[in-house]
Amino acid sequence: MTRVLALLEKELADLRQNPALFVPAALTGFFSILLPFIVAIIVPQVAGERLSDSSDFQIAIEMYRNEPSVQGLDPEGAVQAWIFQQFLVLLVLTPVAGSMSVAAYSVIGEKQARTLEPLLATPLTTFELLAAKVLGSLVPALLLTLACFGLYVGGVALFAQPGVFRALFTPRSLGIVFLLGPLAALAALQLAVCVSSRVNDARSAQQIGALIILPIAALLVMQLTGSFQLTAPVIALVALALGGVNTVLMLVGIALFDRESILTRWK
Amino acid sequence: MLTASHLTRRFGDRLAVDDVSFDLAPGEIFALLGPNGAGKTTTLRMLAGLIRPSGGAISIGGEALTSSNAPRLRSRVGFLTETPGLWERLDVRHNLLVYARLHGLPDPDRAVDAALDAFDMRSRARDAAAHLSKGLKQRVALARTLLHQPDVVLLDEPTSGLDPESAREVRELILRLRHERRIVLVSTHNLDEVERIATRVGILRSRLVAMDTPAALRARLFGVRVRVALSEPAYRFVHVLIDAGFVDTSDEGSNLSIAVKDAAAAAPHIVRVLVEAGADIQTVTAEKPPLEQVYLKLLDQE
Repeated sequence: MTRVLALLEKELADLRQNPALFVPAALTGFFSILLPFIVAIIVPQVAGERLSDSSDFQIAIEMYRNEPSVQGLDPEGAVQAWIFQQFLVLLVLTPVAGSMSVAAYSVIGEKQARTLEPLLATPLTTFELLAAKVLGSLVPALLLTLACFGLYVGGVALFAQPGVFRALFTPRSLGIVFLLGPLAALAALQLAVCVSSRVNDARSAQQIGALIILPIAALLVMQLTGSFQLTAPVIALVALALGGVNTVLMLVGIALFDRESILTRWK
Repeated sequence: MLTASHLTRRFGDRLAVDDVSFDLAPGEIFALLGPNGAGKTTTLRMLAGLIRPSGGAISIGGEALTSSNAPRLRSRVGFLTETPGLWERLDVRHNLLVYARLHGLPDPDRAVDAALDAFDMRSRARDAAAHLSKGLKQRVALARTLLHQPDVVLLDEPTSGLDPESAREVRELILRLRHERRIVLVSTHNLDEVERIATRVGILRSRLVAMDTPAALRARLFGVRVRVALSEPAYRFVHVLIDAGFVDTSDEGSNLSIAVKDAAAAAPHIVRVLVEAGADIQTVTAEKPPLEQVYLKLLDQE
């Protein structure tokens, strides 16, 4: 554990020296926050129409009629609550997608900078190396997610109808932000680090890592179309599954990490 | 003691290291010489526990190196890689501190302070590695290699690309390791450096072509010779020496080169014979062909 912390601390110090690396993630987070505000608040105000008058959102009103968090809200407030809840998925996962480049570059970057061989010559085990690399991109991603969530809640409290922000503190919303988000991020970043330890070019790692955004986008679309809902029990089930996936990914990552090949074949 | 026993490494069909064996004792500086692609770095990586041998065995301090104990035994080895491999954005102190923690040193800060003092880097401790000259980077890399006081020190081309002053500093540091009774193995192309620091030399071309002290290798290839510089043409005295029993005597300008069994024992007799023959002697020295000649001759014989 000491060695993981030592390397993690180095990873974070390295990132602090190069904050520009997180500009894409911060921008992605910012636009993820902005998007639901455009849909739920700016567009209706500019168009002079209420969302609750649109037939497109009747499904939301129907679906949320019995939700305790929206009880007491008028139809417009209920639609806003629905929109802000749906976009939580995007909010949680986009900073992770932004951190993907950091994770994808983690091992191949050390190799290209010729810092990997001295590192491998220490007592550091493969598990410790991979754990530190994954945490090195996960910790900033989670901090960024937390900051984005704070901004999101603040924005909803300020600009949405009174009481809408309560919808962001339901077990479902909190489960998405504080359980599903970190677990999904861990899985995605582990996958990116695995890829980084197998390819011999940082660009390949980034391109393959970028594919991870596809299931995230699919999840959002399915939610918005109502074909799949992340209810609290579903979130718990998915969290269990992600826990399993993370364990498997770590084992696979260790098995795939071939020190010899990295040292002797990568140029 | 560091022991390599019939060490072999294949990469597919290519035999990179073939049946290499040696024992190194504390206080020894062993130089591994060889052309590019001879297997020097592969040998060092195997000794550092970074890659597995295809055959043969390695033991460090009597303990066989295996995949299960490699992480632990790596803490007894310091490996200076071909390039310094510093994290450029981090400062010197931070670079060393991470390694002190990775090696599990009980007081990492104190160990780093000691290393900074030992390598005279205290004043540059807060400088980012990216701002250091190549020589200073190499010095930091050496400090990192020795931070955990390893018994075995493996140095892969430690002076490659350094200016003469920096190279001299590195050589002095290596010699200091000898006095600290560490086992040092240096891979290098620099024959002058080998001459200055190595107690033993191994010539590697996949397999060990030769291994001995520089003096013994010279003697084996060129024999022991005494060189006498005269103030007149030397050819006049060749027959005098042959008549005196020094049958392998040659001349070159005003110099005589005489094959002997023991230079120190033979020199007075040679001087006496030449003086009696009327020669005006300027200097008498043991002939020492450059190590480069030894190296090239050994590789030619292969």
